[in-house]
Amino acid sequence: MTEEALALRDIVKSFGATRALDGASLVVRRGTIHGLIGQNGAGKSTIIKILGGLYQLDAGRILIHGEEPRSVTPRLVEELGVHIIHQEALLVPGLTVAEALFLGNELRHGPLLAPFSMRRRAEAIVRETFGVSLSGNMLISELSAAQRQIVQITRALLNKPRVLVFDEPTAALVRREANRLFDIIRGLRDEGTSIVYISHYLEEVRDLCDVVTILRNGRDVATVDPRTTPMAEIVSLMINRDIHEMFPKQVIPCGKAALTLQSLGKAGAYEDVTFTLHAGEILGLTGLVGSGAKEVLQTAFGLTRHDRGQILIGGKPARIGSPGRAIARRLGLVPEDRRHQGVALDISVRENMTLASLRGLTRFGLIDTRRERGQVMSLIERLGIKTPGPDARLRDLSGGNQQKVVLAKWLSAKSDIYILDEPTVAIDVAAKVEIYRLLGDLVAQGAAVLILSSDLMELQGICDRVLVMYRGRIVRRLVPAETTADEILAAATGALAPLDKAA
Amino acid sequence: MSASIAAPRFRVTQLVRWVTPTALILLFVIFAVASPTFRTPGNLLHILVNNFTLPAIVALGMTLVVSAGGIDLSVGTSADIAAMVAVTLMSLGHGLALSLAVGLGGALMVGVVDAALITVLGISPFLATLGVLFVGESVQQLATNGGTPIYLVSNFPAAGLDALAHGTALGVPAPLWIVLAAVIVVQVLLGRTPFGRHVRAIGAAPQVARYSGLPVRRATWLVYLLSALLCGVSGLLLAATVKSYVPLSGNAFLLDAIGAVFVGTTISREAKPNVLGTLIGVFLFGMLHNGLLLIGWNFYWQQVAIGLLVFAVLGASFATRRLQAAD
Repeated sequence: MTEEALALRDIVKSFGATRALDGASLVVRRGTIHGLIGQNGAGKSTIIKILGGLYQLDAGRILIHGEEPRSVTPRLVEELGVHIIHQEALLVPGLTVAEALFLGNELRHGPLLAPFSMRRRAEAIVRETFGVSLSGNMLISELSAAQRQIVQITRALLNKPRVLVFDEPTAALVRREANRLFDIIRGLRDEGTSIVYISHYLEEVRDLCDVVTILRNGRDVATVDPRTTPMAEIVSLMINRDIHEMFPKQVIPCGKAALTLQSLGKAGAYEDVTFTLHAGEILGLTGLVGSGAKEVLQTAFGLTRHDRGQILIGGKPARIGSPGRAIARRLGLVPEDRRHQGVALDISVRENMTLASLRGLTRFGLIDTRRERGQVMSLIERLGIKTPGPDARLRDLSGGNQQKVVLAKWLSAKSDIYILDEPTVAIDVAAKVEIYRLLGDLVAQGAAVLILSSDLMELQGICDRVLVMYRGRIVRRLVPAETTADEILAAATGALAPLDKAA
Repeated sequence: MSASIAAPRFRVTQLVRWVTPTALILLFVIFAVASPTFRTPGNLLHILVNNFTLPAIVALGMTLVVSAGGIDLSVGTSADIAAMVAVTLMSLGHGLALSLAVGLGGALMVGVVDAALITVLGISPFLATLGVLFVGESVQQLATNGGTPIYLVSNFPAAGLDALAHGTALGVPAPLWIVLAAVIVVQVLLGRTPFGRHVRAIGAAPQVARYSGLPVRRATWLVYLLSALLCGVSGLLLAATVKSYVPLSGNAFLLDAIGAVFVGTTISREAKPNVLGTLIGVFLFGMLHNGLLLIGWNFYWQQVAIGLLVFAVLGASFATRRLQAAD
């Protein structure tokens, strides 16, 4: 019996041209809670999916309890006692809690299922482990995110795993439930189970983990003891910051108020959100999943309603109940899910670009195709979009160029307030720089840009101010020149006490 | 860096787009060889007027609906309700114009129900219009004592009605003019107006349409209303042709219309519904009905042949597109 419950060594994994893992290693000793942290895109999820057999590795070795599995398939890995609780709950929505818990290991009376026993057992197990009562008859689709998480964890525990991997388990849990989960995890460790714990929340990692491995750009840069290593050191290990030339930042004098949110609140999402975005300004907004930052953007663009407070555009109160109204007030949104919300992949570059501005391109009610084509050609040139032509299907463009088409859509609609949600995720570096330059040009011409990002370098590199949200509130208002990435990350992960009197 | 721009795949795409026109030409040649009657100008005009116009008008509406990502199974209901209302009014002694107008109003009501079920209640277009189809059948049977046709006695607005079905202008039969008008309307709407662009975007990527602020609900309403209206026109033309209302006769349009739209998508580069493709599809089916009849196949075999044709065209097209995707 070896001391190493799990050893992933020199793992390499590429997706097309991007190398997600570049020789990352993770060695977990038996009976420890091992934290795995890193920025978005550092390779945390990829390494876990490789361990779980969801991705095939390109190079490297995997040892589970000292054995090298013949092949890494989800089934074999589970047989070796490794159980992974994925970030997005993998439960069948149409099943009941009891059915989901016992799926594949149903209790039976002879050849027949024993639904009542399963229901009673399910309810008892959930009560024992979490101290909450949950009806075994509820459908998975009726559960809250936290309840689903509970079901998933309970299901994993039923299999008595030797290694248990948690991928961001507390993102959907409230404090009390999270504390309960930590107690359970500690109890499992004391019984000899090895735990891998992936989280964005640094405070959790510090309180819970015995060892922490930090991933950056697909490599493990350090493995440290979180109780003796200063938080600041861990944070700076997570961030790589030697490439400031990536950010072509122009300094523009701030203009008039473009978009103001006043004490905006939405139950369960965000609370007392107040800020003003000015013409000529790039305002950064950041926060983890569940911080409410994304919901704030959606409200500003009319996709969801707020309960309290008001929105002002150009200093005057505005009712933005739908994206159509937001666009009429010259707002434009670049959504995070580009392939489903940003661009229609199966129609042409031209049609995508003018989708939100056709009314301005008509003559006698008909689309003036010559004017449309002229406008599209000039946007393609201005944004440097690499496309076979204006009539090429969007599918045939690279991610970066597709993203430029989304921006072109709002340029065509003459937007002057641009809201961007993680605009450079999954875009290669060259295209990122071009998009930063473009945003710089936009604000130079008097537009205002609000950008939600979890890329700290990006926030520091291009923003004039950065607002950090944590659990629904703005907890820090920072000026990049006077702050560090460490401070932004610390605020976003709750490692800093919230400022009560944020200016 | 230039590797990020995929080269357009002309070779295979072109191949797909020729499947339907090739089938059309091939069948034409086969029928022309097998039956001397088939290739006479008289018969070709007969195909156009009797096997093409009515399903074409319905299929044009269906082209709009499918473009918007929906489907309309209630086309026969719209056509039948229009005919039922108009013929009943005429048989009661009302004037031609009024009867036709109220008939179209009846068809529009079917569209209103479709659109309301889809946009207000959020029922999927397939189930919503299927429900309307069933309800429509029952309504007609209840209204006609279980399906008794209503015949127009010859003295009544027969003259005007006859002109609609059998008249000519500039030597071209009136129904063909109506088809031409419908073609122009649908082609202009779909190809040249913001509405048409919105419809195509809604069909291609509904979330993108929402995130781009498009009037999704309004476009959906319009699409189902237009489809119902065109079906109503078709139903009235049918009634004018046979000088009667035969309950449930409109359902014959349904499969031809859907088949024609999907067969028509194969000629488009983006594999999207389009007016020309739909017309080719309808003509293909019309020619098949007529040709098979002339070479002596009975009605039931015609249905089999049309089914096989749809499988063949769509199968060939999907197979080629898979090849293309595997490239």
